[in-house]
Parts: sequence; structure tokens; C-alpha cells
Amino acid sequence: MKLIVFEDALFENFYPLTYMRPVFDLRCGRTTLREKIERAAGTAAGALFVRDWMAAVTAARNDAAVNNLSALRDDDLLFVNGRCLWLGGHKPPAGRDAIGKVGDEIAYVALTKESAAKIAASDFESFLAAACAAAAPEEARGLKMLAHPWNLIEENAGAIADDFEKLGKSGVEGTLAEGAYVWGPKDLVYVAPGAVIEPTAVIDTQDGPVMIEEGVTVNPHTRIQGPATIGRETTLFGGKIREGTTIGPVCRVGGEVEESIIHGHSNKYHDGFLGHAYVCEWVNLGALTTNSDLKNDYGTVEVMFKGKLTDTGSGKVGAFIGDHAKTSIGTLINTGTMIGMMSNILGVGSLLPKSVPSFVMYMEGMFFKAGRKKLAETARTAMSRRKVAMLPEEEELLGFLFELTKDERMDAVKKSRKEMMARKGLA
Amino acid sequence: MSNDIAARVKKVTAVLLKVDESAIGDSSRFVEDLGAASIQSIELVAAFEEEFDIEMDEDEALAVKTVGDAVAFIGKTVAEQKA
Repeated sequence: MKLIVFEDALFENFYPLTYMRPVFDLRCGRTTLREKIERAAGTAAGALFVRDWMAAVTAARNDAAVNNLSALRDDDLLFVNGRCLWLGGHKPPAGRDAIGKVGDEIAYVALTKESAAKIAASDFESFLAAACAAAAPEEARGLKMLAHPWNLIEENAGAIADDFEKLGKSGVEGTLAEGAYVWGPKDLVYVAPGAVIEPTAVIDTQDGPVMIEEGVTVNPHTRIQGPATIGRETTLFGGKIREGTTIGPVCRVGGEVEESIIHGHSNKYHDGFLGHAYVCEWVNLGALTTNSDLKNDYGTVEVMFKGKLTDTGSGKVGAFIGDHAKTSIGTLINTGTMIGMMSNILGVGSLLPKSVPSFVMYMEGMFFKAGRKKLAETARTAMSRRKVAMLPEEEELLGFLFELTKDERMDAVKKSRKEMMARKGLA
Repeated sequence: MSNDIAARVKKVTAVLLKVDESAIGDSSRFVEDLGAASIQSIELVAAFEEEFDIEMDEDEALAVKTVGDAVAFIGKTVAEQKA
């Protein structure tokens, strides 16, 4: 059986998180959406279908065929929507045609080799439509379809618990130093080989499992409250890692983090609160950067979504921070704020606006253009510090995204300019 | 034309950097002579774009060191974009 994971048109809903990656590479729990799909299918994806401008970078990062219709031959096929959060024990169908539905949405389509051979289509969307017409619907029990970035946060604690169960490992294979403590059921902790939990660190499993991967260092005075998962080679510098938190690989994290996802290769080294937030890769949050995730009136949080203030329906929503964004010391982030990729924020003095465009500089309450070459140079420097080279395809994608996000950025910049000229007496 | 551009560049520079306009010459360096901090350099680029209704490449604009070079750079950009 060949597994095909695809993006549908809703990838845009997840901006800025999906500017630099397909929607199925977003993290929820210990693993990404795609890794959960592959685990359920029992095989790695043999083909991936993504938006056109994401194809080159996806191909460069993966062995699977990308946007290649000829890969859909000579095998039973399982198509899974990349927005599908595959939790629980639901098994994908084998040897029969079926459509797995979550409400009105299609989570997966299974086709036998014989049924697939009957389909003649010139593009992926037509192929999928024909596949749907050929198969009978069934309920995809336990699966969820994510539609917005805050869904990743809402589902994270459950996804961590599901990942722990499916990991099937517990106990300490690394080092739990004398004076470090597991508070709660011991079988709800997994410390991988090479991980070190230093004295006075506390792993609290009373409310859920804690997974700590290879090469992690947990400094003294760190409390990790389950459900939580800490990715390989990450260092925790003390503080409160509270329930529902995912920290991906090679991060540097301190302070207080609650029900948040830090995708990987990002730093929140110092004190400051991060709550109900998703932080993409290569982000640096300066000391005392803090986000609000709860309104003073306890009402539901609104976010800027496709240019309009939109009610999330949730009372706890933090920040969504795109790749390579940087915040200065003391940056205060409003409830439900979208921060664009490559943004450079000097946020001292007042709350950030609810929406920060990508590739922009923000200072003294105003937006300014930022030089693309300089931003790219800074990004390459940040990556080289972790011994990662930027792929040529990623470099090209940055150039494309700079243009893609230009209108939104220039709208904000022009408004700021008028304010600046008036403020400086130049109007 | 270039005299007009030079006068407007000097006026904007004087206001933003809070220096006497008469103290600004073509060879004045924004950072070393006029005291422009990095934040003010970004504000200057924004103000020049607004003043002349042009769009400059940010990387190239921030590489300009002197007032005279700024006048030349802006003059070239105005000629290209207003042609």
C-alpha cells in the first residue's frame, strides 16, 4: 500500500505557520501531523502533494515523490489529508475502497490498485475527486480535522498523551541525577538515553506523561508538568514547563511555558511567559518577552485571520509566531497575536498590534520595511550557529514569500509612515 | 532638480536627526557626523520614500553613508520611478 499525504486548499488558514512548511509538517504532540499519519498507516509516505510553490522545498527535504501523478500507479493507495490529526486506534482501510469522513470533511480515501488503475486524471485534484466518487464513506473514528492554528494548541495535550501511549516506552534510560525527582506515576515518564535531568529538577507526571528525548539537558530548578514532551538536544534553563507543552528539537528554553508548541530550533532562553502559542523554527524571543493568552474580561479571543478580526471561540489563545521572527527584550504580545515570519520586533513600551506582517521591522509602535538580503543573512547566521545550512530551495522560497507578503506589509508600513511624518513634523 | 532633491534631503535629515540644516553638507556622514543611530537610519529611509513618493531597495538604501550619496541615490531612483 502506498501512502499519499496531501495539502488541501486550507493551508492558507495556518499562515504564518505554513509559509515555510506544508501543513502536514506542523507539530502537535511529540510528532508532526504527517508522522502520526505514517505511524497509523504503518509506512512512510511514498508521495506528497503540496501547493505548487511549496513543491521544491518539500522535495529537497524529503525522499518521497512530490506532486508527481505517476507515483499513483501499481499499488493500493491511501490518501490522507495533511490537516488530519490521527489520534486513537482507528486503522486505515486495507484492500478495499473507502472514504474516511470527519463530519463533512474527508480525512482519507483508500483505493485498491484495481480501482486506482481505472482513474484517468491530469491533475491531483481531479484524481482525488475521481477516487472519492469510487469509494464508499465511513466514519473516521478518533480522527480530527484541524482548520486553524489554534486547533493545534487545543489538541496538543491529548496528542502528547496519545504519542506517549504509542511510543510504548517508559522509565529512565538517561540520567536522573541525585536530587532530581519524578513526582507522580513513574511509568508515565520516559527519559531517553543521553538525556540528563540535573539535581532539583522535577518531572511532574500527576496529570500526564512526560517524554524527554535523546541529548536533552534539564537544568536545576526546572519543573516539567505532564503532559509534556521535550525534543532531542534541547536544553531547559530552569522555570516552569507546564501542562500541554511541546518543545521540539534543539531549542533553548527557560521561563514559563504553558500549553504551547515550540516547533524546533528556537530560543526562549530567558524569563517571560509563553502561553497557548505556536512558535515556528529559528525564532528568538528576547528576555522577558511575554504573551497574553487570556483577556481581562475572560471573553473569547479574536485574532486577525485573513485580514479580518475573527472570534476563535476559545478563551485561551496566545501568539502564533512565524519562522525566523525575533523579539527584543521586554516585548509584550497581545492576546491572539499573529506574528509574521522574518519579522524583527523591537517591542518595548506597549502591547504589539494583533497582527505583525512578515519581513517587517517594528519599533516605537510603527512598522518599517526591512531589507530582504539583510534578513536572509541574519537567518543564515542563526542556522549556522546550530550547524544547519539553509537549502538553496529554502533561500528561493524566502524570496518568493517576500513578494507574496508584500501587500500586507506595505499597507502596514504606509500607515506607519504617515504617523511618523506627522509625529516628526514632516507631514 | 538635483538642487531641489539636495535641499529636501537636508531638510528631512535635519528634522529627523535634530541637527541644524546649515551644518549638513554633501560629505556629512549620517552615522559618524550626524549621529544617526540604527533606528534613525531606518526612519530616514522611510521619510525619504515618503518625501519623494518613491520606493527604495532597503538593503541598498541603508548602505548609503553620506548625504551626497543619498542625494545621488534618491535622484537616480526618482528618475527611474518617475520617468
